[in-house]
Amino acid sequence: MKRTKLLSLAITSLICAVALHAALHAAQRPRYGGTLRVEMRERVNSMDPRGFDPAALGASATERLLGLVFDRLVRIDDRGQPQPSLAASWQHDANFTRWQFQIRPDVKFHDDAKLTAEIAAAALQAQDWSATSSGSTVTFVFPSAHPNLLVELASGRSFIFRPAQETVFGTGAFRIADWQPQKRLTVIACEEYWAGRPFVDRIEVALGVTPQQQMLDLNLDKADAVEVLPSLARHEPQTRMRIWTSSPVELFALIFTPHMDVGASPGSATSQPVARDPRLSQALSLAIDRAAIVNVLLQRQGEPAGSLIPQWLSGYAFLFPAQPNLEQARQLRAQLPAIGSLSLVYDGGDPLTATVAERIAVNARDAGIRMNLTAENGGALSKTIELRLVRWHFTAPDAQYALGKLLERVLPMQVDSSSPQAGGLQLDTPEQRYAAERAAIDGGSVIPIAFVPEIYALGPNVRDWMAPRWGGWRLEDVWLDLTPKSEPAAAGNNRP
Amino acid sequence: MSFRTKLALFFTLTVVVSVALVTWGVTSYTRREFEQISSQHTRALMDQFQKEFAQRGEEVVLRVATIVDAQATTNMAITLARPQADPSTYVYEADGLAAQHQLDYLDILGDDGSIISSKEWRAHFGYKMDWVAARGLEWNRDPAFLSRTELADGVGLSLTAVRVLPVGEKKLFVVGGLQLDKGFLSSLVLPQGMRALLYTNLQSSFDAAALTDVNGPVPQADRLAGLIEQVRKQGGEPELSIQWNSSDPASTEGLHAIQLRGRDNNLLAVLLVGSSQGELVRQLNFIRTLGVVVGGGGILLGLLLSVWVSARVTRPIERLAKGAREVAAGDWSVRVETRSRDEVGQLTRAFNEMTRQLAEQRDRLVQAERVAAWRELARRLAHELKNPLFPLQLTLENLQRAREQTPEQFDEIFDESTATLRAELENLKTIVARFSDFSKMPAPQLQPVSVNDAVRTAVRVYDAQFSIIGRPPIRPELYLDESLPAIQADPDLLHRALSNLVLNSLDAMPAGGTLTIRTAQNNGTVRVEVSDTGTGLTTEECERLFTPYYTTKRHGTGLGLAIVQSVVSDHHGKISVESVHGAGATFRIELPVRPAGSDNHSIVSAAPRPTDADEKPVQPSPRKASAGSILGLTGEGPGA
Repeated sequence: MKRTKLLSLAITSLICAVALHAALHAAQRPRYGGTLRVEMRERVNSMDPRGFDPAALGASATERLLGLVFDRLVRIDDRGQPQPSLAASWQHDANFTRWQFQIRPDVKFHDDAKLTAEIAAAALQAQDWSATSSGSTVTFVFPSAHPNLLVELASGRSFIFRPAQETVFGTGAFRIADWQPQKRLTVIACEEYWAGRPFVDRIEVALGVTPQQQMLDLNLDKADAVEVLPSLARHEPQTRMRIWTSSPVELFALIFTPHMDVGASPGSATSQPVARDPRLSQALSLAIDRAAIVNVLLQRQGEPAGSLIPQWLSGYAFLFPAQPNLEQARQLRAQLPAIGSLSLVYDGGDPLTATVAERIAVNARDAGIRMNLTAENGGALSKTIELRLVRWHFTAPDAQYALGKLLERVLPMQVDSSSPQAGGLQLDTPEQRYAAERAAIDGGSVIPIAFVPEIYALGPNVRDWMAPRWGGWRLEDVWLDLTPKSEPAAAGNNRP
Repeated sequence: MSFRTKLALFFTLTVVVSVALVTWGVTSYTRREFEQISSQHTRALMDQFQKEFAQRGEEVVLRVATIVDAQATTNMAITLARPQADPSTYVYEADGLAAQHQLDYLDILGDDGSIISSKEWRAHFGYKMDWVAARGLEWNRDPAFLSRTELADGVGLSLTAVRVLPVGEKKLFVVGGLQLDKGFLSSLVLPQGMRALLYTNLQSSFDAAALTDVNGPVPQADRLAGLIEQVRKQGGEPELSIQWNSSDPASTEGLHAIQLRGRDNNLLAVLLVGSSQGELVRQLNFIRTLGVVVGGGGILLGLLLSVWVSARVTRPIERLAKGAREVAAGDWSVRVETRSRDEVGQLTRAFNEMTRQLAEQRDRLVQAERVAAWRELARRLAHELKNPLFPLQLTLENLQRAREQTPEQFDEIFDESTATLRAELENLKTIVARFSDFSKMPAPQLQPVSVNDAVRTAVRVYDAQFSIIGRPPIRPELYLDESLPAIQADPDLLHRALSNLVLNSLDAMPAGGTLTIRTAQNNGTVRVEVSDTGTGLTTEECERLFTPYYTTKRHGTGLGLAIVQSVVSDHHGKISVESVHGAGATFRIELPVRPAGSDNHSIVSAAPRPTDADEKPVQPSPRKASAGSILGLTGEGPGA
């Protein structure tokens, strides 16, 4: 009897264990269906890749939305390596001047039109690429070596689309169901996506939502994934919310306008192309307490920036000091002629940028440099202002590409912006990139402030938020756990 | 200006002046009352502001104390009191606490006074507020105070309280405040028409943007720069009146400046209490409008009243004046009706009595003159008849005596006597004929007549008389205006009148002389002057010269000049005489070119000439008589 009971108990335990394992396993297995609700602070104006400007403020948000609908020839995997996307394969010559991409067969646009090399080449040509088509091959021919072409084709203006009358169609995992510029984007999953149907049926992206409102919506289960300010991320672990943090992929930096006359009359900005005195930039850079900004305002969610690209991208960022030296800043300032207040413009819709701008103004005042803060709402850079505090998002895990795009933005005179390859400067080797960064910083065109990560707070139902470490979305891999639960899902950070 | 007009003006002026005085009085009273009310409101608002200030101060103290007493704050103080504490964790702490406790400003300071978290200027963390740390725990007994708070974009004015949370040897300072801005101003309960303005920037130069009211920045703030400057430099509580809209007096506002000082008695802000004068201006306008309306109505009423009253008062006077004018015109039968018993009535009755008596006296005078004329006529007739009768009587007695005493000479005497009798009878017939002629003066038969021709004809009749042998000659001189127009006159009567005047002049110059006749025209009349160089006339003679049967000559009938006067009068003309003693006399006739009533000429011409029985002697009116006595000097003058 006792053995029977023990046997029965053992069998029951085994059955329960198997059932529990099965249940747990079932919860971890991706499921199809559901609507993923995402909220963003940025307001995207257009879903047409032809008007996409990677140098514009807020371009990273636009690129994410476009990435839902449009594919590129190449994509970057989680390890930062180029992987085939619409191009099934590629080859190049020994000098990296001629590249040929074989278009993936049987790929259809959202209007059921078939993807051809001709359409792909036309799309790329519309985005300033010198691409040609032949059969199922798209060919690039460059006068000089382009060893980094794969990374460039995996980011920026390299979407493949098919224009049709008043709209364009993509081949992405989702197609547009509803588009309200600056307000909302709704996309639905493509059943016949060449890489397989996404797990979620629909994604609703709300635009222009303040960070505070995003947190509120997440807590009220009105959103599944929201952006988190670094100032809030430090406290969120105390809650039961899941936080996803990328590597520092965003640069806070002060950018001087190309034509700034520091010796002009007080308080005025002039468009006269006069030589900029780099001592002003140096004094300002030395006055800024980057550590205080990162530790206090950014709540340690980031790192002080003395360089233009972060350490994990360049490997030499430590060579750029980020420590303040107020005494030296004052000395440099004393060497400058009398100037009025510098006009510092920042994105008025970004509270974090506003706080950092205020702190910069406080530090600058200590060095004897007065600043007038002006909030501005989005848009491209104006050349009538003197200083702008920007958040620059690195969209590819490639130092050469990231620095090239940034310098295009910072040094438009020195970088050939007409070419997406940033061919004006030689950035192939770390030494060249270091020299380029040093020249930009010492020249007074840009003052790096801090690198901050991309932080998302996820709802309890969101699974497999497998965004790359340099940020961005992989929403086709996300699925929603829609099984009813008696208690909230497991809490904790889901850091990559 | 008529009496009625004067009376109306008097009434109107009385009403207008009365209304103006009342309007002025009410306006002055209203203005004074409004100023008193405005002053009371300002004082009340100041009291309210002080009360609100104190109440808000207590609230600030309470809220800051609540923050300090909160467990979270204690935990924060304990955490920060530990070695190697990280204050950056709390950099956003002030935001939530300030929102939770409804504070505009909130700073959390560490033991050394460095800012851990600042709600109003988050980027200010790490900087020190030494003035807070210097006082230590004494803050916990202090009330709220007015202070200036440094902000990222300037300076803010706040009602501030400081409280300290001691943890061991370390302290945590909490500095909280309510901003004094338009929100604070909006909490003040202001009487209608009043507003409060706050100037919070006390830098060296006036900053218009720092002046705010409940609606934000004040338009035309620069106009208050002088008042603010006066407060900053001279202190006190100056006042200023501003008309914001130059075209609208109702936009006038009185502003009373009040200093707001901080803990160290330093001037931090200026409160301006504005009191709109719009209601006052509206009331004054209403009063003025009412005054104008009442005044206008008064003027109209005064006019109507004055017209009515003056009509009542002046109508009897006007009737009296009309009666007087009629009396002056010769109508003495006028009677003015009156029922009044007042002074005007008495005057009217006196006037009527006067005219009645004047008429009676005139009648008596006319009667007396008639009697006198008849007596004069009788005397003249007696005199004229007595002269021929006396020779007749003597002749008859001489005949009778001759037949009795000297029959032989009777025939001779008879012939002489009959001749004498015949002559005297002729003389009597002549006398009777003259009187008959005067009584037969016909009505003039008007027709165009040349006066100059009439004069020449009259003079030509007496040509023989001018140079009679044995008599000193008389030299006629005619000065005739050949441009004389023809006048409407009866040529026979005119000739008769001129002949009488010429004959009268000849009789007045027995010693010879010059007969001068002048004609001229003047204002629609033709003037004829007949002058002699005789001895002239006395004043009495001049006055009586045209009286019928009056004569200064021994053999005159006294009818010649009377006939002349009658003819001139019948032609609606005037005759007068001027005489200088020893220098002769001048008779002046003025005849209208077209006498009044000459339009009836045809009718008169068609009418039969009056018979002798219809003719009556002309009885000169007193006025006509006076026409001949313009001038006259003593002396023997001519007679008719």
